[in-house]
Amino acid sequence: MASLEQCESSYQPKSMSRAKQWTDEVEDLYRFQQAGYRDEQEYRRVKQVMLIERWPETGYVKKLQRRDNTFYYYNRKRECEDKEVHKVKVYAY
Amino acid sequence: MRTLEASKSKQELKTEGFTVKSTMKNSVVVGPPPAGAFRERPAKPTVFRKFYERGDFPIALEHDTKGNKIAWKVEIEKLDYHHYLPLFFDGLCETTHPYEFFARQGVHDMLEHGGAKILPVLPQLIVPIKNALNTRNRQVICTTLKVLQHLVVSADMIGDALVPYYRQILPILNIFKNMNINSGDGIDYSQQKRENIGDLIQETLEVFERYGGENAFINIKYMVPTYESCMLN
Repeated sequence: MASLEQCESSYQPKSMSRAKQWTDEVEDLYRFQQAGYRDEQEYRRVKQVMLIERWPETGYVKKLQRRDNTFYYYNRKRECEDKEVHKVKVYAY
Repeated sequence: MRTLEASKSKQELKTEGFTVKSTMKNSVVVGPPPAGAFRERPAKPTVFRKFYERGDFPIALEHDTKGNKIAWKVEIEKLDYHHYLPLFFDGLCETTHPYEFFARQGVHDMLEHGGAKILPVLPQLIVPIKNALNTRNRQVICTTLKVLQHLVVSADMIGDALVPYYRQILPILNIFKNMNINSGDGIDYSQQKRENIGDLIQETLEVFERYGGENAFINIKYMVPTYESCMLN
């Protein structure tokens, strides 16, 4: 039981900060957070998927399944505009 | 009393040209009535609206705070493009929320992820595109032009395949091509939002020419005589 709790807690982030500048990582986080997940790690854990579809040209996330099993599709180009960068949360584990 | 009579006799009689009335001394011939080339022609209720209200689309209709994405219930890759893509294009005529949003975003998503599945459906898209442009509603034309630009670059060969359909699409573009405000050195804010119809049409025609192969220019020129090549010079 203790090990399970330990396991759960290891998934919980230790800290959170806001993104200051747009980068490729922030772009990806923005996409995961739009779909209702913290980041790639949580998405993989909740959905139990190995492969996340990404755009071949830019490497950004292409398709995500939300918690209600509907799908969100993303553009091949940048989606996170400058005015939305500060809304992106960067979690540390 | 005299002044009243004088003014009465001076009163001009407005009349149409080539009538007996127009030969009278005090009659003035008015110009012909406007032909209404720019007048809006409201679209009939669309099939898209019917399908949407019936819940026939594989999209989640509830809205969250984001509001700029469609939650698809089915993977787009598995959709029957022959069925859905023309339906979404049909919705381009819509001007009211939520129909307008779902049509625009649905078309966008399907084009972005359609790849090779778009080309075979192209002939079925021409009539909805033509209908949308024919509404002559500024907002609808704007959206449709952006969709056309996206359509041309969405997959290989689409630009070429679109050339035979220029006759259906380009007449409206020819009418509105000069809809540009000459604001001198003032700022036209619609430019920033990419809502200036004249500029959008120019852009669209240039995209058509770039992606339409060698016959594109001559065919555009035939339908839009004032168009000048962006590649030959």
